[in-house]
Amino acid sequence: MSDPKIDGFELKPGFKGMASDTGSDQTMFKGVHWGKAMMWIFLLSDTFVFSCFLISYMKGRASTPVDWPIPSEVFALHVGGVPVPLLLIAIMTFVLITSSGTMALAVKYGYEKNKKMCGWLVLATAIGGLTFVGMQVFEWSKLIHEGVRPWGNPFGAAQFGSFFFMITGFHGFHVSIGVIFLFIYAYKIFAGHYDGEGKRGWFTTMRSDYVEIEILGLYWHFVDLVWVFIFAFFYLW
Amino acid sequence: MSDDYNDNKIIQAQSSEVMGGSAGVNPDMDYVRPSELPEQDLYHGHTFLTKWVFCQDAKVIGVQYFLTAVFTGVVGLILSWLMRLQLGFPGLAGFMTAEHYYQFVTMHGMIMVVYFLTALFLGGFGNYLIPLMVGARDMVFPYVNMLSFWMFFVAVAVLMASFFVPGGPTGSGWTLYPPQAILEGTPGSGAGILLMLISLSLFVIGFTMGGLNYLITILQARTRGMTLMRMPLTIWGIFTATVLAMLAFPALLVSSIMMTLDKVLGTSFFMPTILKAGEVLEYGGGSPILFQHLFWFFGHPEVYIVALPAFGIVSDLISVHARKNIFGYRMMVWAIVGIGALSFFVWAHHMYVSGMNPWFGFFFASTTLIIAVPTAMKVYNWILTLWRGNIRINTVMLWCLGFIVTFVNGGITGIFLGNVTVDVPLSDTYFVVAHFHMVMGIAPLMVIMGAVYHWFPLVSGRLLSEKLGKWHFWLTFLGAYSIYFPMHYLGFIGVPRRYFEMYDSPYMTSAVGMNEFISLAAFIVGAAQFILIFNVIKTLKNGKKAGKNPWQANSLEWHTSTVPPEHGNFGDRLPVVHRWAYDYSVPGAKEDYIPQTTPPSEVAHTEVEKT
Amino acid sequence: MDETKKTEQQESTHKIGIYLWIWGLLFVLSFFSYMVDWYNFQGMLRWSLILFFMFLKAGLIMAFFMHLFWERYALVNVLLWPMTAIVCFVALMVAEGQYTLFSRIFYFFVG
Repeated sequence: MSDPKIDGFELKPGFKGMASDTGSDQTMFKGVHWGKAMMWIFLLSDTFVFSCFLISYMKGRASTPVDWPIPSEVFALHVGGVPVPLLLIAIMTFVLITSSGTMALAVKYGYEKNKKMCGWLVLATAIGGLTFVGMQVFEWSKLIHEGVRPWGNPFGAAQFGSFFFMITGFHGFHVSIGVIFLFIYAYKIFAGHYDGEGKRGWFTTMRSDYVEIEILGLYWHFVDLVWVFIFAFFYLW
Repeated sequence: MSDDYNDNKIIQAQSSEVMGGSAGVNPDMDYVRPSELPEQDLYHGHTFLTKWVFCQDAKVIGVQYFLTAVFTGVVGLILSWLMRLQLGFPGLAGFMTAEHYYQFVTMHGMIMVVYFLTALFLGGFGNYLIPLMVGARDMVFPYVNMLSFWMFFVAVAVLMASFFVPGGPTGSGWTLYPPQAILEGTPGSGAGILLMLISLSLFVIGFTMGGLNYLITILQARTRGMTLMRMPLTIWGIFTATVLAMLAFPALLVSSIMMTLDKVLGTSFFMPTILKAGEVLEYGGGSPILFQHLFWFFGHPEVYIVALPAFGIVSDLISVHARKNIFGYRMMVWAIVGIGALSFFVWAHHMYVSGMNPWFGFFFASTTLIIAVPTAMKVYNWILTLWRGNIRINTVMLWCLGFIVTFVNGGITGIFLGNVTVDVPLSDTYFVVAHFHMVMGIAPLMVIMGAVYHWFPLVSGRLLSEKLGKWHFWLTFLGAYSIYFPMHYLGFIGVPRRYFEMYDSPYMTSAVGMNEFISLAAFIVGAAQFILIFNVIKTLKNGKKAGKNPWQANSLEWHTSTVPPEHGNFGDRLPVVHRWAYDYSVPGAKEDYIPQTTPPSEVAHTEVEKT
Repeated sequence: MDETKKTEQQESTHKIGIYLWIWGLLFVLSFFSYMVDWYNFQGMLRWSLILFFMFLKAGLIMAFFMHLFWERYALVNVLLWPMTAIVCFVALMVAEGQYTLFSRIFYFFVG
């Protein structure tokens, strides 16, 4: 977050700082926890995964001579007989952004060692994620009910269903993993694993630390970030 | 100070930033700021299971990776024998059908590129050497590291299982191009291709866990004084290759997932409308070219994932055994990084004849030829390192020299193939086979062999037999040239690759003798590799004891508290680094090498480089 | 080095206000991008608006929720430069998609 204190090393700002950090010994990312650095590099790798998915999707969509289904009609919900385009997707976006916000606050309270607030906010995030997954299940079953299949659909190009189920499925998989970990960490916070020196983990001697909440937060915000791109490219485009 | 150099004019060394202008020993000159990292806690195994099987020590994991990769390599070698048997002497092996031949080609390619070379360099050498060379106690996440190996192990098991399923392993070529890879009629289009895709996905997941470890250990867990520009080039090579792997494997994962869905669910990501025996299949509208783009977006960086660690390791070996500092260290680093970065912008030079957008040829031919610049720079630097060096012609050096020659040879044919107009007639001929075997098969393999002879004393405490080593080298080197040099000519006369048999084509008359010769050479070279296995067994039994630092090397792995190093690597205190790893034959120094841990005050009156 | 300068460090975390602001902005931007669909803009206007709101939202999440704005440049640059490979991939696949469509129409329907 903010610049760390390092004995005998001057932290310069900006590109000068980048040069001196990179040229220094021991660490390149000054004051960054190993786990946090790992999560960032993992997310970078995961960005390439989702980029490849979305690039494939756009390439597939751009090169099909068959008409692509119009997403705002396919994903419309009927409220009192009137079709409202993308209503469910809008609510899902709302839920995911809400959970992202609670996660950001949880990280903040974690660093302030405010166990209660941090725990409740992580729990709220987990419930937000669960709601999102639930709505995604509803969306999938609605589309399947309407005859959309991975190998074809009644609205147009067959690749629509293929890419839809694959990309949202892969994103939903990420959300589900995140939800599981959010519940685990909510338990860990309330169980006091982060109090004092921190409890040692299983099969390792590393101690727990509130930085883990930030690492978890990074993952969760990334899931939200991916949704921003899916929302733009799949539902709005 | 050495007595031998007394009458030389001694230039006062500026051996560290902190040293003052005046001569003599200044107490400040050895200052290295205190550690900013806490001491790493390690999980020491106590039972057989946690000590040798599910071990969290990177060195044990490295050896596990190494042995598993060598096992797959031997399988790949046997497959290549069978292929050569068919090509040189068609009909001699009665059981060999065209289907078998394609399956062997496919499995040989995939095994050698991914499961052998990648796993060996990054999993094997990476795990063993990274913590030792950067001065860390272990990888930063030992538990994840252990999972990484076992994931790789499962991936290998799944791959090997595909030999035993109905229909056998996939026979679609190592590039697994759809649509034929998953259509009936291609050998192994049922369970074989599925197991291959699953195995690749598992490999990617396992490698991601390992790769995160390598990167964070190098970036965030170096010892005091170890700056990035003091790291041995081995580490730079492995580091950059791991970055490439982390960014390139996602494309492989995505294409594997999409092809699995095409196969299992009947989606049409890659499958166009297909007529089969007059009937339209259920597929339609997909784009096979998309798969090729995804595959080569992974595939080209993959070439450098194999090559860059080899570049790094060979630089270190040459420097140690020529007793000279590496010529142009910084340029070598930037060349590695530059090659790595460029490798993401060249992928479609594998697709000149694929029917992609014809304008792409300009872009990809240009970027491809630009890569030749940093690569040539590295070759010049290796040669200039050897120039007037105190070269020890031992087995390790022989392998390094073999590497340089082979790599230059393979690289030059690469310049042919990088140009669209030259590539189009040569594409899918034996010229291509010769090119990539030279540049990413034999050349990295020579480095691996050199590295094995170099680091075996560290791992086991015993020196491999030089006599057997020289036999091994000369048989392999001359044999490999006998195999691949004639292949260039086969390519020029137009013999297509991946053909089971030449039947009655004109090539029957002109190529048959050459094919027989190549096959005989291949049998000998393959058999020669077992000399190494014999050498290892013999040495482990009663080899010469190596003692500490048998090569008088500078880098940290030779300066551990015990040889072979124990868990935790460096005993009670981590080493403090004061210089790069290449202070060999420094004028004025007592010995012809100055280890990285030697403080400046001890070598104040030598012409040591400022690093 | 005898003298070592120590940087001034703020021990406290960021004010809660900044998070709430970004949170609110994300809702507003999502609402705007939804409106793009609601008012049924088409063509270049639609695509550029979608991309504009998308990158703005992504930037806000990365900069503030993921703290990249406060991270040191070493980390930020390591994370952002690899995106050039993605940009190159995207650009080429746009060209490739158009070419595939062209050749399909040309050979299947016209030719």
